[in-house]
Amino acid sequence: MKNDREGQLKIYQLFSPVLYGICLKYMKNEDDAKDVFQEAFVIVFQKISQYKFEGSFEGWLKRIFINKLIETLNKKKKESFFLDVFDPDTDFVEEEELEVLPIEQEKLLEYIRDLPDQYRTVFNLYVFEKMKHKEIADLLKISEGTSKSNLNRAKHILQKKILSIKNFKTA
Amino acid sequence: MKKHKIEDIFSSMEDFSSVPPPELWSQIEEKLDKPKKKKRVILWWSAAACLLLGLMLPSVLHFSSSDKQTNPIQNNTLENNSIVLDQKENNTEKTNKNTERSIENDINNQSKNNNQISSSEETINQSENQLNKTQQTETVGSDSQNKLNNNSFAPKSNGTKNSLNNNTTVAEKSLTPVKENKFNPDSKNQFSGSKNGQSNQTVAEKTYVPAKENVFNAASKNQFSGNKIGKTNQAVAEKTYAPAKENAFNPASKNQFSGNKTGKTNQAVAEKTFSPNQADRLNSASKSQLSDIEKRNADKVLAEKTFNAGKQNKFNAGQKNQISNSIFENIPNSKNNNTIAFTGSNSGLNGNQNAVNSNKEKQNIQKTSTDKSIASVQKDNSKGNTAFTNVNVLTKKDSAQLAELQNLEKGIVTPEEEKKKKEDKLLSKADKWALQVFAGVANSENYSKNKTLGNVNDSKQSNSYGVKTQYKINKKWAVASGFKINELGQSVANVSYYNAKNSALFTPVDYFAQSAGPTQFTSDANYVLVSNNAKEAINSSNIQTGNLDQNLRYLEMPLEVSYSIFNRKKTSINLNTGAFVGKLISNNVALDGTSIGENINANDYVYGSTLSSTIQYRVYKKTNVFVEPAVNYYANPLNSQSFNQFQWGLNFGLNVNF
Repeated sequence: MKNDREGQLKIYQLFSPVLYGICLKYMKNEDDAKDVFQEAFVIVFQKISQYKFEGSFEGWLKRIFINKLIETLNKKKKESFFLDVFDPDTDFVEEEELEVLPIEQEKLLEYIRDLPDQYRTVFNLYVFEKMKHKEIADLLKISEGTSKSNLNRAKHILQKKILSIKNFKTA
Repeated sequence: MKKHKIEDIFSSMEDFSSVPPPELWSQIEEKLDKPKKKKRVILWWSAAACLLLGLMLPSVLHFSSSDKQTNPIQNNTLENNSIVLDQKENNTEKTNKNTERSIENDINNQSKNNNQISSSEETINQSENQLNKTQQTETVGSDSQNKLNNNSFAPKSNGTKNSLNNNTTVAEKSLTPVKENKFNPDSKNQFSGSKNGQSNQTVAEKTYVPAKENVFNAASKNQFSGNKIGKTNQAVAEKTYAPAKENAFNPASKNQFSGNKTGKTNQAVAEKTFSPNQADRLNSASKSQLSDIEKRNADKVLAEKTFNAGKQNKFNAGQKNQISNSIFENIPNSKNNNTIAFTGSNSGLNGNQNAVNSNKEKQNIQKTSTDKSIASVQKDNSKGNTAFTNVNVLTKKDSAQLAELQNLEKGIVTPEEEKKKKEDKLLSKADKWALQVFAGVANSENYSKNKTLGNVNDSKQSNSYGVKTQYKINKKWAVASGFKINELGQSVANVSYYNAKNSALFTPVDYFAQSAGPTQFTSDANYVLVSNNAKEAINSSNIQTGNLDQNLRYLEMPLEVSYSIFNRKKTSINLNTGAFVGKLISNNVALDGTSIGENINANDYVYGSTLSSTIQYRVYKKTNVFVEPAVNYYANPLNSQSFNQFQWGLNFGLNVNF
């Protein structure tokens, strides 16, 4: 399987849209997303023999990609990634509920990618990967409080973005 | 309108997917192929290591043999005025004579030094000394001859004869990055062996032609005219990669396979040709003439998986695959299977003129219709149905063929696969360099039971320290070099000596007239070390015994190759081997703790080999501590005198990656 280009191509064709989507969500610009995408796929094919058939293959692939994405983000931005400390005053503001028309995916992606790296990472992990703050904290080597704070701030920024467009009504 | 939380608004993004740009796959494929280049590096290094060992072996042999033959006279210079001590057993007549002369000669020197001998004696001795000098030149001469022999020996061992029996890789991985390359424009690889067992497996495999206007195999004629080709010609021009503009690939190539009984031949001709840019002409006028009489499994994949990512591809525009077989079992079914065309306006794609039997034609038509129904991913194919996008859902027939193809490919790839398993993953650019600082203890060993002055050489503890830089070639292999100060020592217990300072009536002539002969010298003239044999013969009242310690301190420069045998989490174990050269920086001989000068037989430059194992533990980020047991072998610490040549060492150190 490892060197079977045919098989590799099949896997690539089957999973690349989802995985590329993940890369786009995590990386600010498309070139970086492409780089990580490539590197992660190379890792996938190199480690494919290590796949133990435990859990879904897609889940396994996603884990490799997310690890690679986080590794890359850590390398890219060492500043301020760990600096956000949980602040109960600002971070425990009740979340507003918005009345909005459906927003197209491209726009949403743009909003996500506009977030600062650390907020975006936590947001992605929490909202899309359904990870708990404890798990995020372990993965990113930050405290749970920082994870919560990052998530709240990310939401806050996104909320502002959405409110700034026309198709909304505040609750 | 419903109220939404941020999470709800973004919930549609959970399964967000986006088709990656088509060129990414080619880049991934390229990266997956890359480790092969690394493998070459390893091969080169192992070749270099073998060469080094090969060169060292004769020189080690030379030195060990010269130890036995060395004539003590060589060191018998007048300037040294040294004191005599030991004898070496020489079996040949000539050397016996020399020994006698040297005794007298030494007496002569001795007498000069002490001014105790009469002038008449001195002249006689001087004349004899001259005799010795001539002897000396002779030995030097023979010595140099030996060296010459050694030198001439080395290239012999390097001489390799490339036997051209198998032709397994012809022009594999050629890289021609310049513009307007003509690769093998007129090459004629003719393989005309009558019985080629498994030959010609990869001809022009993975050729990489990244520049513009490449003409690849413009007029090459790969003629395979073997009569019985067992498993030959498995991949001709496999994985050719021509990413630039206007590539003409095999525009006029004639791959003629005219074997009579081709067993499983020609399995992948121009397989996986990759030409992602514009205006590629692939096999534009290629004529793959396959005129085999009996063909069972042959020619299954002609131009399989051709990948044309750019615009205006003329794929097989004028291809004529003439297959004139009478016995036709599995043949052209898989032709141009999985051809992927990512862009629109593929004008002449698959305009093949396959002259096939009418029966087969029917089958093809049927197949085309099924393919057409499946292929629907392509957005704007101007001629819609002609371009087959990749087929994810396969008909039974197709999947069976695909499985067969995969098996075939596996067969081709197997040797690569085995090599790849040994292959390492790419190292990230970071942490390729490491700096090591270390210090440790060393203990010399006498494995050859050498004796000095009739007493066995004992081991002696010393210490060493140094710095080393290491460069990681890949995850497993690394090279290292640096500087190290190391001490090689030995101690000899119960050495009999006579101290000239204590006796006014010292007449060494008396002793040496009766004793067997001297060889060893120290630079201090007041001490006369006496061998056990000589001691018996000499009046023992003036003889004392003591411990003789000798230390030779070197500044060494090692060159090591190391291989990682274990690497998990924070711990790693490496095996290192290499060679070193050392410059003598301190030379000390002590008798019962009192320095009595230098050992004048010590060589200024030494060399040797080293073998060690490093057990490393990461303590903080890029900082590691390590313990390194090692064994060093010194090829030539002393001239004409035995010395401990092996040394055990245990180094402790700190390693910082950067």
